[in-house]
Amino acid sequence: MIRIIPFVLYFLLLAMHQVIWKDITGIFGAAINLAAMMVILVAIYRTEMTAVWFGFVAGLVAAAGIPGVMGWQALTLAGIGLAAFHMRERLNLDSLNAKLLLVLGGVLVHNLLTLIIVRTDAFWYRLAVNAVTGAVYTTLVAWLFFLVKEKRITVRKIRSIF
Amino acid sequence: MGVVSTLLARRWRTIQLMAVVALAVILITGALDLNGHTSRAITAATYSPFYLLKTSVLELSQKAVESQQLREKLVDASVKLSLLEEARRENARLRSILGFEALSGFKIIPAKVVAVYGFELPTAALINRGWKDSIFVDQSIVNQEGLVGRVVAVSADFATVQLLTDPLNRVAARVAASREMGIVRYLTTGGMMLDNFPVQGTIEIGDQILSSGLGGVYPPGLQVGTVVSVERPEREPFCTVKLSPAVNFHSIEELFILRPDTL
Repeated sequence: MIRIIPFVLYFLLLAMHQVIWKDITGIFGAAINLAAMMVILVAIYRTEMTAVWFGFVAGLVAAAGIPGVMGWQALTLAGIGLAAFHMRERLNLDSLNAKLLLVLGGVLVHNLLTLIIVRTDAFWYRLAVNAVTGAVYTTLVAWLFFLVKEKRITVRKIRSIF
Repeated sequence: MGVVSTLLARRWRTIQLMAVVALAVILITGALDLNGHTSRAITAATYSPFYLLKTSVLELSQKAVESQQLREKLVDASVKLSLLEEARRENARLRSILGFEALSGFKIIPAKVVAVYGFELPTAALINRGWKDSIFVDQSIVNQEGLVGRVVAVSADFATVQLLTDPLNRVAARVAASREMGIVRYLTTGGMMLDNFPVQGTIEIGDQILSSGLGGVYPPGLQVGTVVSVERPEREPFCTVKLSPAVNFHSIEELFILRPDTL
């Protein structure tokens, strides 16, 4: 039961992002795709089934406001979790760049699938303005996460600059 | 039973994947209204607290902006109120001036006080009229309350007025009721006095004191003050008569110069 608590916190973080931070952190239509990023990170650091179920529930949480696409989002993110896990298994993911490439690819695929699911008009425009830029933006956030996670950035190092 | 559990253990991964796909398909097809229930449950459990937080913060920031705007409006209104109050006082003053009539044989020239001089009580004032306006030394200065003083120095655009509060200023005066005469002067320590009034003269508290016109500086009949106390010392030829000035010298603003018609 205790093992679930971190995941509950992740989902609350995701909900908080959807409600509060998504609009604030958006830059010219590019938004952080926290759901996809978290699913890929779970796939990198946890087991296959954890990634799949996490992706499924993350899809439900991320699309809770739009019940019509909840199933698609859950399926898509579960699939991305599964795919990311197997990529991790087959690639040398010690490299930071490989991890970032995985995040970029996963988020881009998710953004692309979301555009297809919601059947947007102006598909190409949204692909360029929202999907690609959003994927790059999310990758930048993931890069910061990896720097902190792998202790390449620490409080002591930041203090030493000043 | 053992066979089933073995099969489950072997195919556990596949079963989980199939469960995920099945649930997703149910949600996609909208069967059993699972979407609506799930959406409501997730929204209530995860979104609501943050919506509440967001709306509270937005309301607070909106309230802060409104509070700031109201404070600015309050300051603005206070300033306007002060200006209106000042305008109301000016209006009242000007209304009382409208009832003021010039003495026969004189024209009244309105003037503004530019500056006042004196320690504690003003004893002199600078007005915005000079010889360009036919103002000359010794012309009388009045306002709607009574006699204020006389011109003692004139330049092209300005004139200096010696007020009745100057101890060097003397006014030949008489009691309005009894017509008996004396000299009004202002003592720094004792205030306005009526000097040279005989002990046997008729004077009472509340009597009006007017300029007599003797001495050739001030025209007769101008209000100078009101008797507030009378002492008749024995073996002294004159009374000690204290006056309350007709003019409030602390608030002089608009004055009038009495210019003879002949000029």
